[in-house]
Amino acid sequence: MTTFIDYLLGGVSSGAIIALMALAIVLIWRSTRVVNFAQVGQAMFTTYVALTVRDATGNWIIALLAAIAAGAVLGLVVHWLVIRPVKRVDTSGAIIATFGVLISLQALAGMLWGGDTRGYAPPVSNDGIQLAGRIWPFSWYDVLVIGVTIALVIGLTLLFTRTNIGLAMRASAFNPEVARLSGVRVSRSLAYGWILAGMVGAIAGVLVAPTSQVSPNSFDILLVFAFTAAVIGGLDSLVGAVTFGIGTGLVISLVSGYSDSSNAPVVALVLLALNLLLKPDGVFGHHHSRAV
Amino acid sequence: MLTVSELSVSYGAVRALANVSLTVPPGEVTAVIGANGAGKSTLMRTLAGLVRPAAGSATLDGQPITGRKAEDIVRMGLALVPEGRSTIPDLTVEENLRLGGLWRNRSDRAASQAEVFDLFPILGQRRHLRADTLSGGERQQLAIGRALMAKPRCLLLDEPSLGLAPLIVTQILELVSGLARNSGLAVLLVEQNAVTALRVATTGIVLNLGEIVQTGPAADIASDEQLRHAYLGY
Ligand SMILES: Nc1ncnc2c1ncn2[C@@H]1O[C@H](COP(=O)(O)OP(=O)(O)OP(=O)(O)O)[C@@H](O)[C@H]1O
Ligand SMILES: [Mg+2]
Repeated sequence: MTTFIDYLLGGVSSGAIIALMALAIVLIWRSTRVVNFAQVGQAMFTTYVALTVRDATGNWIIALLAAIAAGAVLGLVVHWLVIRPVKRVDTSGAIIATFGVLISLQALAGMLWGGDTRGYAPPVSNDGIQLAGRIWPFSWYDVLVIGVTIALVIGLTLLFTRTNIGLAMRASAFNPEVARLSGVRVSRSLAYGWILAGMVGAIAGVLVAPTSQVSPNSFDILLVFAFTAAVIGGLDSLVGAVTFGIGTGLVISLVSGYSDSSNAPVVALVLLALNLLLKPDGVFGHHHSRAV
Repeated sequence: MLTVSELSVSYGAVRALANVSLTVPPGEVTAVIGANGAGKSTLMRTLAGLVRPAAGSATLDGQPITGRKAEDIVRMGLALVPEGRSTIPDLTVEENLRLGGLWRNRSDRAASQAEVFDLFPILGQRRHLRADTLSGGERQQLAIGRALMAKPRCLLLDEPSLGLAPLIVTQILELVSGLARNSGLAVLLVEQNAVTALRVATTGIVLNLGEIVQTGPAADIASDEQLRHAYLGY
């Protein structure tokens, strides 16, 4: 029983990071109806930016802020330069284009920073906290990760429910025509979606870096988990992305604990397949037909 | 005052509107009636900036609106309630209304919202509910309320009667024509249901296969049996 609880505890913070990445995927799906497979590539790239800034300043927070800024710019650039022109012609082309962006970013990162795996020291201890006479599988760094995730989810919720930009983004996603008839500049709302997703993804990248290391391909596995969580959550739902992001983290931790960590991606794909068979709209997905 | 002159619209080879000219004066309801496929929605969507005209122009109080984007036209004072329920089901009643005047400042929006709740009290009672919990009639009121949140000088209504009980349609249209009389709003109402539309309208316009075949006082059109047989099918 203690082992079971330990495994669960160990999964919470990796689940939080998966949740963030899934959130980024959902933000773009909601606004643009494109699954952005480049999301982890963008996050990898901005994490390299963070690494460079951190080497220069020695400051974790400044590096994080630099990654967020880079994520915003990169999100906008990908949207304007690649997705918008391609999507005007055809949507499935845009999804394929995101793979192109992923591969290009990986190649570019390899050229700029080399292909070697690099470490990313956590700003606070990543060792298990000692409490009540034992060492728990939970570190101060995990506390930080979970804290940042909670703050971000609250911030996004407030953005979407309380601000005009958030309302414009939701309306543009649900019904672009009614949004335009209400005076909303829909193409700008879509761009905000990409910027926001780029920022959220950048945070996820910096947070995951101490556990995954940084190399052009080291975040690929995160894509599998985040995509699984986003799809099971219904792709449209922020709540779904967070819930199943954390859920996926727990499952992975249990699978890795009781068997072998190399089984985790397979289990994720099985969950994804089962979900697509049993509940194609996702658990939190919308079933009503949209107004034309 | 909305002035439309010589407006023509084509969808590829299909000509949906041909040389349509009309005026929509403030303070009253102008009704455009016509059968299925007459081009009524095309007229409305073109005026609102969703469809590009092949030729012709439209002005609102002298300012040209043709060629502008939909999101700019509504800010200039022309708001469309499109065919079907043009509310966003996932948003609450209040959010749907807020959306309608998002670019306006907070106090102007609050004033407009109070006016909408005066006009349609049920929306005030349901303000925190999601739009998809409303009945059809309530949703149509919300759709009109959303358009009114832009504080338009000209309001376009595309078949508000669709799928609603006749009594509810009459109630809603009476409220809208009252609003037009009291506040000087210019209303262009498009309907297949000619009887109801002509009852609240001052002027009636009959559209057939994209062309205007008759314009005149609503009462005259309502009592013109030949016209009814030829174009309205009753
Ligand atoms: N997007 C489109 N593409 C091609 N043809 C269209 C399009 N929209 C409308 N049409 C055609 O244009 C003509 C006018 O259609 P429109 O929708 O304006 O008529 P309507 O009077 O509103 O009809 P209804 O009473 O059914 O709403 C019809 O022949 C229709 O088939
Ligand atoms: Mg129509």
